[in-house]
Amino acid sequence: MLQVISAIVVRRLLLAVPTLLLLSLVVFFVLRILPADPLGMLLPASATPADAAALRQQLGFDKPIPQQFLIWLWAAINGNLGISLNFRQPVSQLMMAALPATLELSFAGLILALLISIPGGVLAFVLYQRKREAAADLTVALMQSIPSFLWSLLLIAAFGVLWPVLPFSGRAGPEVALPGLTGFALVDLLLTGQFRGLVSVASHLVLPALALALGFAPLVIRVLRSSLIEAAGEPYVEVARLRGLSESRILWRHMLKNAALPTITMIGVQFGFLFGAALLVEMIFGYPGIGNLMVQAVKGNDLPLIQGIALIFCVLMLAITVIIDVLYAVLNPRMRNL
Amino acid sequence: MSAIELPAAPHSGVDRSSSLCGALRELARQPRVWVGGTILLVAMLLAVFAPWIAPHDPLDQDLLHMLAPPAWAPDGSASYPLGTDGLGRCVLSRAIFGARVALTVAIAAAWGSMLLGSTLALLGGYFGGLVDRLISYVVDLWMSFPPVVLSLILLVGLGTGIDKVVLAVVLVDWTRFCRVVRADVLVTRRRDFVLAAQLIGFSHWRTMLREVLPAVVPLMITLFSIEMGIAIVVEATLSFIGLSVPPQITTWGQMLADARNDMQSAVWVLLTPVACIIVTVLACNLLGDGVRIALDPRLRQRVA
Amino acid sequence: MLAIDNLTLSCQIDGRRIDLLRNLSVSLARGRVLGLVGESGAGKSMIGRIIAGHTPPGFEVTQGRVLFDGADLLSLERKAWRALLGRRIAFIPQEPLTALNPVLTIGQTFDEHLAHLGVAPRERRASMLRQFDAVHLPKPDDMLRRYPHELSGGQCQRVLIAMAFVANPALIVADEPTTALDVVSQVNVLRLLAEQRRQHETAMLLITHDLRLAAHVCDDIAVLYAGEQVEYGPARDVLRRSRHPYTWALDQATPDVHGKPRRLSALSGQMPGVSAMGSITGCRFAPRCPQRLAACEAEPPPSIESAPGHWVRCLKPRDVASNSTDNARESAAATWQAPNDNISGTPLIELRDATLCYTARRGLFGQRKVRNFAVEGLSLAVQPGEFVGIVGESGSGKSSVAKLIVGAEALTGGMLLIEGRDRALANAEVRRLNREHVQMIFQDPHSALNPRRSVYRLLTQAYEAGHAVATMTEQPRNGRAQELLADVGLPRDMLPRFPGQLSGGQKQRVNIGRALCVMPRLIVADEIVSGLDVSVQAQILNLLIELGRRHGIALVLISHDLSVVRYLCSRVVVMQRGKVVEQGKTEQVFSDPQHAYTRLLLSSVPPADPTVPWPPAIH
Repeated sequence: MLQVISAIVVRRLLLAVPTLLLLSLVVFFVLRILPADPLGMLLPASATPADAAALRQQLGFDKPIPQQFLIWLWAAINGNLGISLNFRQPVSQLMMAALPATLELSFAGLILALLISIPGGVLAFVLYQRKREAAADLTVALMQSIPSFLWSLLLIAAFGVLWPVLPFSGRAGPEVALPGLTGFALVDLLLTGQFRGLVSVASHLVLPALALALGFAPLVIRVLRSSLIEAAGEPYVEVARLRGLSESRILWRHMLKNAALPTITMIGVQFGFLFGAALLVEMIFGYPGIGNLMVQAVKGNDLPLIQGIALIFCVLMLAITVIIDVLYAVLNPRMRNL
Repeated sequence: MSAIELPAAPHSGVDRSSSLCGALRELARQPRVWVGGTILLVAMLLAVFAPWIAPHDPLDQDLLHMLAPPAWAPDGSASYPLGTDGLGRCVLSRAIFGARVALTVAIAAAWGSMLLGSTLALLGGYFGGLVDRLISYVVDLWMSFPPVVLSLILLVGLGTGIDKVVLAVVLVDWTRFCRVVRADVLVTRRRDFVLAAQLIGFSHWRTMLREVLPAVVPLMITLFSIEMGIAIVVEATLSFIGLSVPPQITTWGQMLADARNDMQSAVWVLLTPVACIIVTVLACNLLGDGVRIALDPRLRQRVA
Repeated sequence: MLAIDNLTLSCQIDGRRIDLLRNLSVSLARGRVLGLVGESGAGKSMIGRIIAGHTPPGFEVTQGRVLFDGADLLSLERKAWRALLGRRIAFIPQEPLTALNPVLTIGQTFDEHLAHLGVAPRERRASMLRQFDAVHLPKPDDMLRRYPHELSGGQCQRVLIAMAFVANPALIVADEPTTALDVVSQVNVLRLLAEQRRQHETAMLLITHDLRLAAHVCDDIAVLYAGEQVEYGPARDVLRRSRHPYTWALDQATPDVHGKPRRLSALSGQMPGVSAMGSITGCRFAPRCPQRLAACEAEPPPSIESAPGHWVRCLKPRDVASNSTDNARESAAATWQAPNDNISGTPLIELRDATLCYTARRGLFGQRKVRNFAVEGLSLAVQPGEFVGIVGESGSGKSSVAKLIVGAEALTGGMLLIEGRDRALANAEVRRLNREHVQMIFQDPHSALNPRRSVYRLLTQAYEAGHAVATMTEQPRNGRAQELLADVGLPRDMLPRFPGQLSGGQKQRVNIGRALCVMPRLIVADEIVSGLDVSVQAQILNLLIELGRRHGIALVLISHDLSVVRYLCSRVVVMQRGKVVEQGKTEQVFSDPQHAYTRLLLSSVPPADPTVPWPPAIH
């Protein structure tokens, strides 16, 4: 078992290297062909062409593009991802400060999504069996048509403005100072015993995490439902019934275990959407994560920052892929003997 | 104990969707197809005839009537049926004009994704071997990127404009088409009738186009509808951030961004574009679902 | 133990009530075996579901009782009924490999079953091991930790039998328990079932399509046709002294492996489907019955006891002098024409020392190569007009030989000659020869016909190939289509139909017609009659013989069914695990097999004479 897992991890990591390389190459080139001049915002209005040239040389934009890439690559391997044009701070520093917030939010969103979608999927399946699925089907279809950023706006309108019960801006109230231990606010506050701060952070987390969850849940509900339907048609379910097992036992013990496999695969595939959704959710809620950072970077044509965040996203996606692969191998007995 | 002889639910056991007439009849039996199709048709008509249908010019600012409520509210007036936004522009007109961008992007991007994704899927799935491995690797590589992030980066690189937005959506989402269609192509490829066609003397091209492709078309149509919905959402996202089209062109995303500031006082300015997006995307999803159920004989037996 | 009394199962289609099962009355005493014999579509599987209380939605019992140990199951409360399943009534499913949950180990599944039965946790393991021993499973300890996909079909079936008998049930319902297994496992499973049955004195209901198998294994047989019980009586009598014309026709249409070769007489048409059943008034067999009267079509005939314990549902049951079945066999043997025996000239196709090898990559990075020989060192020559059969079980490589002959797979070693010319020389001439000379008919008609093509476009698909097909007639497409329809015995109105509207037999005819379109000199037929009803199978076999005579086509028939091969082919090749173990003239090989494997294959076929002991005793 352990052998299989480690083999999967190693294989993925080895494949990851050329992948990351290729992706950062693509991003690099795409960004360099942009029509706008990234330096335009950095220069005062009275700048002369000579000043512009000097700045270009200082930042290294005058060299040929392949060379620029190699310089960047070398620096990146050494941990230096450049300096943000707009924030004037090292990119890695900015990202490390913002990353935990995004991870916390995504994790909370995923947990909420699972809490909604697993019972939801089972319910949809049960209703399907009883031929009363029409209303549920429509609800799920409706939910699926509402992307996370619309949920964010609706949730803010509902619970932030019309009926102000939850905060919808930032990560914590202004009075809370976040201890920077791990960067994960909930963990830090728990460790230092600041429960009021904990409550504040948690309440700020509710709406954004819910927006993420509501955007993601319908996909999972659909996959779970169709996997359960598929499993229900399998011969072993019928045979289990003939052995006298009760319907609920068959559902929970036999079908769910089998339906979990394609569902997990689907979650892995759609994880990209979760990250993409997080981008806008953070922007709308003013949440200080890397999504928000990316939006700002993009608006300001901040090339080094865009590059760095793109890289981080790739790494995150690859990490998720590895986790999903391992999970799948653990749950699927057919993968045991490679 | 499998009931191989008798179907799971009583029906006459005939698959009628093989011919075109049969397929159309099956489609007509699905309420989802009707609902989704009608909504989209209406949306398209609105988009095409926008200049004649909309009561005002979407860019017309009436600074005397900023944030006017909709016609049915106490202070509302009939000349602004859905009220006005923060700059005094008619919300209804903006919504109708916004449909133009949304649907143009939707249809163009769906076509582009379908052509690119399906062609590669067909080639890879049919020929297998090195071709397939290469295409699969490229798809996997492409999919290691969160789609929204990728589209943002592409737009930074390409600049603004409707054609660039369409290109961005196609480049980002063609992989979905490719993956799903490829799976279906692989299944069809293994069927004996493909081998039979080759034995009769069909060239590869002919086999692909006459035997494999028709089997995959229903799936492509389903994906096309769903792709339209996704394209609308991506476009709204991009214009919400401000990266989609120049500000003279009205989009729903733009309306959302503007409405954010005025949420406290004028909720309908926010709700209108939200409703437009939800209804249109829902229509696309319903249509896609309906097509899938109508043309996939296995599903019909379950749902019937 | 079990008594079914006047049972009727109905459903509603298009607003009409259709009886899928009608007036079924059988009884089964403790320790006896009752066989329910019927072809697919006869409704026999539904009976198992009724006993279990799991009829699909839309089907309901509208009449009759199902008495189990005196109590009517149909009037039982759900919970009480469910309590019987697995305890007093156990089921053995048809496809063992998929009958076990793939994500649970055997041990976990069995453990759950024992827990459900109320066995204490401490005793479960011992109980499982005991049962595995009883069913002769090797290494029972190891078995508990395995997953279903790691076992063979035969092993899975043994596990299922173990689970079925562990509660000492009073009734076992076995639905085609051996159909999905290979020939050797079939015999073993049947022996095992008999052994267990005797030990526990269990009554068994065996559902099968094979009349002869039932005659050897069961005490009584009930024959079903289109949901009606047409004959019911002691097993041997039903086979040898069949009184209903359908039962008699069933036996006549089944080819024999032993004894004199005889012509198969096949009934025309096929069993009515579910919706067709609704429009038949009177006896459901009447449309096909060779001796039908006007009265037969007016009302369904009653079931009469024509001999003690032997019931027939017919207005004119067959007059059974004690040897009339034998008489019929004799006259059929007299009209038998031996298959074509031409042995001269250049062989049409010849395989010399052919080898086909698949390399699979194992290991995490695909570094290890595992070679799998599908075919090894096969030599075979087929003369023009000759019918050659290749027999073997699944995994013997026979399908690979088919692919090699038509060129779907490339040889890894050896040579393939077409009319003396080496196919490996991939020039246009050889390719053309191959295409026009060799065609293939596939096994699964569902997969072999493009569902989007009409019959017209399927039959004449060769016309779309875009190049001049020189050996084809000058006929325009339309005319050729009509010709082909006539050739394969399909009515003219078939042309605009689609495969989804055709029956299995009709699809297979279209399959054959498509292959005939280019007028090939050799047809490769891969398991083409496996999924068909006995009478439809006989029709197709006779059609092939007729086509062979009319057009002089040679045939390579691939099958696991020895009786079919014996009927059609003058020469036979027996394959095992990729190698040829025996080949020669069919009559010689079958009457005097030299290789142990051939003998094993032959002994696994239930003989037509029910007095011959079968399954054969273990040596």
